[in-house]
Amino acid sequence: MIKFSNVTLLYPQSTTTVIENLTFEIAEGEMVLVMGHTGSGKSSLLRLINGLVPHHTGGILAGEISVDGISTRYVRPGALSGIVGIVGQNPINSFVADTVEEEIAFGMESLNFPPELMRKRVEEALDQVGLAQLRGRNIATLSGGEQQRVAIASALVMHPKVLVLDEPTSALDPIAAEEILSLLQRLVHDLSVTVIIAEHRLERVIGYVDRILLIEGGGESSLGLPEEVLRHSELVPPLIKLSRALNISELGTNTREVRRATDEIRKNLPGYERPASNPGDVTVEISEVNHSYGNKEALKGISLSLSSGEITALMGRNGAGKSSLIKVITGLITPSHGVTLINGRPIHEIEALERAHLIGYIPQDPGDILYLQSVAEECQRTDLDKNLKSGTTLAYLHKLLPTVSKESHPRDLSEGERLTLVLAIVLVAAPQVIILDEPTRGLDYEAKEKLAHLLKDAARRGAAILVATHDVELVAELADRTIFIAEGEKVADGTTLDVLLASPAFAPQVSKVMSPRRWLTVSDVLAAQEVDQK
Amino acid sequence: MPKLNRPSLHPITMWGFFIALACAVIATGSVFVALGAVGVAALLVYLRREDGPWGSSFKWSLIAGLYLLVIRLVTGILIGVPRPGTTIFTVPRVELPSWLPGIRIGGAVTWERLSSSLSEGLIIASVIALFGAANSVTSPRKLLRTLPTSLYQVGVALTIATTVLPQLVSSISRIRSAQFLRHGKKVRISSIALPLLEESLSRAIHLAQSMESRGYGTSKMRSRYRPIPFRGIDSLYLSAGTTLALLAVFA
Repeated sequence: MIKFSNVTLLYPQSTTTVIENLTFEIAEGEMVLVMGHTGSGKSSLLRLINGLVPHHTGGILAGEISVDGISTRYVRPGALSGIVGIVGQNPINSFVADTVEEEIAFGMESLNFPPELMRKRVEEALDQVGLAQLRGRNIATLSGGEQQRVAIASALVMHPKVLVLDEPTSALDPIAAEEILSLLQRLVHDLSVTVIIAEHRLERVIGYVDRILLIEGGGESSLGLPEEVLRHSELVPPLIKLSRALNISELGTNTREVRRATDEIRKNLPGYERPASNPGDVTVEISEVNHSYGNKEALKGISLSLSSGEITALMGRNGAGKSSLIKVITGLITPSHGVTLINGRPIHEIEALERAHLIGYIPQDPGDILYLQSVAEECQRTDLDKNLKSGTTLAYLHKLLPTVSKESHPRDLSEGERLTLVLAIVLVAAPQVIILDEPTRGLDYEAKEKLAHLLKDAARRGAAILVATHDVELVAELADRTIFIAEGEKVADGTTLDVLLASPAFAPQVSKVMSPRRWLTVSDVLAAQEVDQK
Repeated sequence: MPKLNRPSLHPITMWGFFIALACAVIATGSVFVALGAVGVAALLVYLRREDGPWGSSFKWSLIAGLYLLVIRLVTGILIGVPRPGTTIFTVPRVELPSWLPGIRIGGAVTWERLSSSLSEGLIIASVIALFGAANSVTSPRKLLRTLPTSLYQVGVALTIATTVLPQLVSSISRIRSAQFLRHGKKVRISSIALPLLEESLSRAIHLAQSMESRGYGTSKMRSRYRPIPFRGIDSLYLSAGTTLALLAVFA
């Protein structure tokens, strides 16, 4: 269905190739995962399939790409819209119409389909993704998962043979992500659509895909069955990490397989439980906070405290009130009822300058707080803002990221580098409270590990940390305590171990394998093994 | 908010009706007609408001209208041509050079002067409110959808331009608060500009890519999904509006 032969891609004004000498072939009705480090050219590869690259972006393409027998070199993406459907990371950025139905019909209108056919096809597409009840709704009022389904329906309605998805679940909570992936799997089974999907959170997709295309640096790539590719890959989901750590020769890609292989270990290892954290004084406290926007109540009587030296995870579906809660804690909004106390002082009595010293905030899109022309300038600005000796921030950044050049423009950094720069800017003055909003979007495992390391370090030095995230594995790895909110109310608040084990949808992979043992991560299991050996 | 299950009216009907109302208000220049028209508009908005970002335009236009009314009143009291009548109070007067006859700043405020600025302000405010109401009941996107096919491609482009605006507003406040939390000082517009520009650019590119991959511009002709029909009730509404306007102009 899709054939790449010796494909090399070079973007204009760039000296390094994005993709080098890539050759592979994907058959009809396969679901293939494209994986690789951040910046390995996954997005470019996906957009090569329908010709957006290089027709839309410019660039030099060598080699041959054919999709369903058509060479993308000579055909514009529009003409391929009946063959390749493409769904982006953030569907809201690609919507052109007001309502669900109009959005789905857009592609057919462009190709001048007769109205009767459009009606029939829209009906089909709505049923395929289960959106029939929402057909007349304004797209802006839908949830993230529903919007993603609208985007998939708008691609499906053209009856494509190939569906390409670029990190379709990165903005979604685990439940919505699960729904999208099983929907894709059903499409593969029912309609024999070929699905190509790029995703960093391998634990979410690994159980669904037939084969994996791994792009390594330097023109190396391999396409194979998941267990083959993952055997040698640097980037692996927790399941594979577990099998490797326990020296299990048979690599399993789903919980059931690994469970079978670890029967013995589960039965024989002694009872070990990760030690509970030992938090210091309460740094941030909010009690009975209520807040509403218009008639919509965003927060309903939430109380919580953040303690020095403790990392707290804030989880919940999209729209549960996480962002509002963060805004209350940082003092951006004054709630209609309740107050934020920082070290016992009400936040609105603390001056903005001092507040910025006390609280470090990492926004969802780190680029939001970068506005100068070079890394060096950003660092200098921070030295001035935080009354540090000139050069402190830059030195700190170099410790975190030795490779970065201080002349480079912040916009040219990779996603991981940009996050590290922002972390350096925020953490250099050691704020007492650190708040992160969804920090792992678009990060690979390596970058995530770095982030976790950095935050644990900051916690050891006494910071109170709050991380709002959908990333269950990160929470299992990082957080001492987990707070779960739904519809503006706190539903659970306890040790990460208790909270994650209590909810099947939010359980990390290792705990699913090891249930009923109370282990969340590979290191928990290894710690249990160590206890055994002593 | 009650939602009617009746067939929705044609966008042109809605806009035509509101334009007719606005004409009537301007032509008569009567405060009572203006207030009546806004009342009718409020009722229509209440019954037929659309959800989505455009739905609240009426509210915003009312607020904007109120501001204008206040500004008109203040300037009306301070600056203007003297008008004889019952003096209510006197504002200290600024002496202007002799080559500016007929205009004065400050001075006696007469009842006549106050009422004329009030009625002028009200008329301006009500015309703005009518425009907002039209936006509330039918989004401009819907109106664009009714354009003839030859203009439709342009319409689609315009439609897309209209999406960017509300998104931009939310981006600005997001970036501003993130930067405020970075340093706790006043956030300058120039420092918002760079991240905002980057985001808008990447959004525009994404949108363009999405449209291109969905076949936009591939075919010269463009068909329409569920064209909005022009019904009997539309003619009724439209002719009622036009009659009102005509009556107002010639009566």
